[in-house]
Amino acid sequence: MVRIEILNQGGFRSDGRRQFELRDMTIDLSQQGQADGSAVVTHGLTHVLVSVFGPREAKMRSQTIHDRANINVEVGVAAFSTGDRRKRARGDKRILELAATIKSTFEPVVQTNLYPRSQIDIFVQVLQQDGGLLQACINATTLALVNAGIPLLDFVCAVTGGVHSTSPLLDLTLLEENDVPNVTVAVMPKTGKATLVTMETRLHVDRFEEIFRLAADAGKVIHGEMKSAVRSRTSELVTVMGSGPRASGGDLVDKDGDDRMNGY
Amino acid sequence: MLSLSKAEKSYVQAGLLASPPSRADGRALLDFRSVALETGVAPLANGSARLSIGRNPHDGGGGTEVVAATKLEVESIDEDGEGRDSGRIACTVSCSPSAYPHLSSSALDDIQADLTSLLHQTLSHSSLHPRNLTILKSKKSWLLNLDVLVLSDAGNILDALFMASRAALWDTRVPRTRGVEYEAPSRKDTGKGREDMDVDEDEHENTQKQSGFDTRRLPKATDFELPDYWDEGEVLDGRERWPVAITLNLVSYSDTVIMSIAEANFSLQESPTHFLDATAQEEAASPLKLFLAFSFHDAQATVLQGMRMLGSGELTPSHLKELIKACTFLSAVGENYARELFVALNAKLKDEDVRRTQKARERFELHR
Repeated sequence: MVRIEILNQGGFRSDGRRQFELRDMTIDLSQQGQADGSAVVTHGLTHVLVSVFGPREAKMRSQTIHDRANINVEVGVAAFSTGDRRKRARGDKRILELAATIKSTFEPVVQTNLYPRSQIDIFVQVLQQDGGLLQACINATTLALVNAGIPLLDFVCAVTGGVHSTSPLLDLTLLEENDVPNVTVAVMPKTGKATLVTMETRLHVDRFEEIFRLAADAGKVIHGEMKSAVRSRTSELVTVMGSGPRASGGDLVDKDGDDRMNGY
Repeated sequence: MLSLSKAEKSYVQAGLLASPPSRADGRALLDFRSVALETGVAPLANGSARLSIGRNPHDGGGGTEVVAATKLEVESIDEDGEGRDSGRIACTVSCSPSAYPHLSSSALDDIQADLTSLLHQTLSHSSLHPRNLTILKSKKSWLLNLDVLVLSDAGNILDALFMASRAALWDTRVPRTRGVEYEAPSRKDTGKGREDMDVDEDEHENTQKQSGFDTRRLPKATDFELPDYWDEGEVLDGRERWPVAITLNLVSYSDTVIMSIAEANFSLQESPTHFLDATAQEEAASPLKLFLAFSFHDAQATVLQGMRMLGSGELTPSHLKELIKACTFLSAVGENYARELFVALNAKLKDEDVRRTQKARERFELHR
């Protein structure tokens, strides 16, 4: 019987990564269907597609809130996303829980007060799962919201962390998630505040602080990736739209006294 | 699914019935939008394909997009179970809410159920059943699950579903299995007292037990194993037979105007205009669609695997026959469109096979 080591003598994990190494992350911000904003994010072998529609008129009047927008999250998991095929109905409890978690993560971040009585729909589609599902969903949702042009207070970057005996690990695969106590942390990198911390396993209290800090730092690394992806997508669009120096001879870069904005 | 006002409907219909006919994107009546196909998109599945019709090549948006994947599960054949000796096929279609953003979840479920029943009834027919889904006769067989996920719908979803299903089934590899029989250790063995496990059912170590005159060879395999092999398995049997679907959207002059009964009776004599690959707007403007699924078994035999009339229009039987069967080789009808689609799809699937095996190997050699 083959026993796969979570962390071997040389400091390598089962998929060849080091302890604090994150998986390969790819971000695709091209348009999907008729969505206002969409993003496909992969963390290693976990692929998630998120489409955002909105802000638009609510489908059901009863769900509208008089002073802010209603955020509606629906998650669909493809039957072929895992190793063994399992058809999950849309009302599955685990999926509803995932959707509710994503909604509560983004409620304080999206500036909903700008769009009263309207609805923002976030449709998450999981195409392939290999651990870190909530992390991938949150990262993809952030990017899709940014892509849709919905005002946010900040990016939300999520990462999973775990502890294998006393060694902390980051960005766990499915194999590691099943074996090791793990926590998912979502942070807003500008302020460093955590907007989601969720753990379903048991972890010793002494280990928690270390892994929490590490995950928060890893969130900042992911933020770097997301920012550069958004930048390159925007510069592509600007190039395609043919924006350049205006005929009136204005400056290429609009410099005003707003340091914080220009530094972004 | 899209709701159009009467003015928009009549605008679209007038364009289609004009001579020369004009469509919003400048296509001819029989032109398809560009179709993109990729196989092997879900590595955890036994076969998969992603197909998009009319996807904008510059930014990748819009269009109808569908992902199909097949997964094989082992099923036991019991009296109360659902397993059958020759295996089973089950098809499911699920629609992402992003494909139909204006629909409530109950309407979405309705659409899912419609598409699932159409796909399942057509593909699970016994004439298309692959013959290599048995593992152990009367004990274990494969259940082939075909899951199709609709990511976005910009018209012509049925053609896309069937094309993607055919591609995923073409790509499916059935793992090779080998029957295994357990034999109790014999007393006459050497002092080591070894047990015979994992004996191939064709070899019998204890030939003394069986008389030389006994010509019966009953399969006694009770379990199976997956031998190590360099590929994923053998291809699904009968993969040439999977059907190709074509949807003919029908518009006739009587749909555009209100006429007296005499005029209506007269206009029934003229055959309706048909066009292919409707966008969502055009679909909403054509009151009747004829869905045909053709299977091209060999070079000669063409079989109509399934047919549906969708919508609220009407069609006389003679017009129906004209639209289905090719009376002459050059007549433009459903069967010929399906054949062209079939040829094009096969060419692409062969391309994909080459890309994933031969070319991948060449690329690998370059990097080494």
